Amino acid sequence: MKTIKQISIFLENQRGKLSDIFTALKNQNIEIQAASVADTTEYGILRLITSDQKKAAQLLTANGHLVNLNEVLAIQVEPDTAAFADAIDALTSGGCSINYLYTFHKDSKLVLIIRPANLEIAERVATEKGLTLIQGWE
Amino acid sequence: MNSKYWNEEIETMPRKKLEQLQVERLKKTVEIAMGSKFYAPKFKELGITPESIKSVEDIKRFPFTTKNDLRATYPFGIKSVPLEKVVRLHSSSGTTGNPTVILHTQKDLDEWADAMARSMYCIGLRNTDIIQNTSGYGMFTGGLGIQYAAERLGALTVPAGAGNSKRHVKFITDFGTTALHCIPSYATRLAAAFQEEGIDPSKTTVHTLIIGAEPHSEAQRKRIEEIWGAKAYNNFGMSEMCGPGVAIECQEQNGMHIWEDNYIVEILDPETLEPVPEGELGELVLTTLNREAMPLFRYRTRDLTRILPGECPCGRTHVRLARFQGRSDDMLIVKGVNLYPIQIEKILMQFPELASDYLITIETIGDNDEMTIEAELAQATDDFGMLQNLTKEITRRLKDELLFTPKVKLVGKGVIPQSDGKAKRVNDLRNNH
Repeated sequence: MKTIKQISIFLENQRGKLSDIFTALKNQNIEIQAASVADTTEYGILRLITSDQKKAAQLLTANGHLVNLNEVLAIQVEPDTAAFADAIDALTSGGCSINYLYTFHKDSKLVLIIRPANLEIAERVATEKGLTLIQGWE
Repeated sequence: MNSKYWNEEIETMPRKKLEQLQVERLKKTVEIAMGSKFYAPKFKELGITPESIKSVEDIKRFPFTTKNDLRATYPFGIKSVPLEKVVRLHSSSGTTGNPTVILHTQKDLDEWADAMARSMYCIGLRNTDIIQNTSGYGMFTGGLGIQYAAERLGALTVPAGAGNSKRHVKFITDFGTTALHCIPSYATRLAAAFQEEGIDPSKTTVHTLIIGAEPHSEAQRKRIEEIWGAKAYNNFGMSEMCGPGVAIECQEQNGMHIWEDNYIVEILDPETLEPVPEGELGELVLTTLNREAMPLFRYRTRDLTRILPGECPCGRTHVRLARFQGRSDDMLIVKGVNLYPIQIEKILMQFPELASDYLITIETIGDNDEMTIEAELAQATDDFGMLQNLTKEITRRLKDELLFTPKVKLVGKGVIPQSDGKAKRVNDLRNNH
C-alpha cells in the first residue's frame, strides 16, 4: 500500500508531557516534519511525522510514553489552496470520508496527511484520480 | 404506649441478668446449630455442646465465621434447620461477585421485626407516625426489614422504595410523612429535590430520619438535621445478623446501643483476634443469640469500632458502639453500596485495551460520594472514537457491577502513583469518620 507511518501518542493533559517528547526527539536528532495535537477535556492525542518513525517510536516507548504506529495517506500537492481544495474534492467526490487531516511543507510542496475512514478505498480513489501518494519516507 | 421503652425489661436489664440471658440463648443457639453441616463438625472437634457453656466468656472457645465462609457454603451450606422451616432469604448487594445468602425462619423474621421496631421506638417513633422507606425492596434487607418493623411498631408505613425523588417529595407532602429511612447521602439529595420544587424541607412534616448503611461523620449528621429541621439517628444493621435493627442511637445521640439480648458483642484486634483493652478500637465480632435458620458464631463484621465506656443516661443497659472508624478489610461503602476493589479490577481486566494499573478515587463532591476510576491504557491509538467508546463501555460494565455510575478516566503509562513498588488501588478522600 502506498501509505506512510504515523506515530500517535496518548497525552493525559499533564504538564511537561509535550516538552518531554520533543526534547527526546531533539536529543536524538530526529527531525520533526509534522505534529498535530488534538484534545478533549480529559486527554489528547499527539500525531507525529518524523524523519525516522521507527526510531522515534522506539525512543518514545522507551521513555515511557504510550505510542502507536498506524498507516495514513500522504498526498503531495502544489503549495496552493487550489491544489489543496482539488485533492480533497477528488477524495470526497470519490466516496471517501476523512477522519482527520493536517498538513506540512516539504521540498516546496504541500503534504496532506489524511486518515480516511477506509484506507484501502481512499488509496484506490487517490490513485484513480491521479493524486501523488508518498510511500514510506526513507 | 406511653413508656419510654418498647421492651423495658429487656432494654434496661441489669448487666448480670443480661449476661445470664445471653448464656441461656447461646446454649439454645448451639443446640440449633448442631443441625448445621457447617458448624456441627467444628463444634464436635472443639468439644462445644450446650451443656459445656457456663458463661459469656465461653464465646472464646468458638470458631470465627467470615464472609468467605458464607461464600464458600453458598447458598444453603450453613443452615441449621430443615428447608421447610425457612420462609425467606436475603442476599448481599446484587453485584455479580460471589453473593452471600442469609436464611430466615418465620420466628427469625418476627424477632427481626421486633428488634427494629424497638430501635424505632427508641428514637421516639410511635404508632402515630407515618414512616416512608426509601430503601430498595428486594434482596436488600433495608426494604422489607424496615417495612415489617414499622408495621410491627404500628406506624403507617409507606413502601415508596428507592429512587424517584419527585415521587418521594409528593408522598411526603401528600401523606404528611413524619419519618424517613434513608442512607445519609440520599437524605441530602432528597432535600435538594424539595428545594427544586420550591419547598423548604425543614417546613415539611418530617421530624425524624433513620440513617445508616453508609459511613457518615457527625458533621454530616448535623447538616442533615439542619436541612431537614429534624433529628437524624444512626442505625446499624447487616444482612448477616438479620438486617437493620442490630444497633441504633438512642435520643442521647451518643453511640449506638447494640441489642445484646440478640448478640454477643466482641471487639477484637483484627490481627491477633484477641480482645482489645476496654474501650479501645477493634473489629466488631458478633454472635447471633436469637436466630434459627442460620445462626452465626463470632462473625467478623470487619467494621472497626469501640465500646463507649460508662452508662447511658437513657437507662438502657445495652452497650453503645462508637461511630464506625473504617474497615479491617478493603471493603468500601459508596452511595450505600458495599464493594471491594477486586470487583472493579475484574471488570477492568476484561478489556484488552487496558494495562493492569488502576486507581479508584472517592471524594465528597457537594453532599455526594463520587467515584473516579483511572485506568491505564495498554496502547495508544490515533482514534479518538475508539477511546470514547472504550470509556463508555467500561463505564457501562462498571455500572452493571456497582449499581451506580462511576467516572472513568483513561490515563497513560506511569500516571498511577506507585508506593513501594506496589500500586495504590484506592484513594479515599472522604472525611466521613
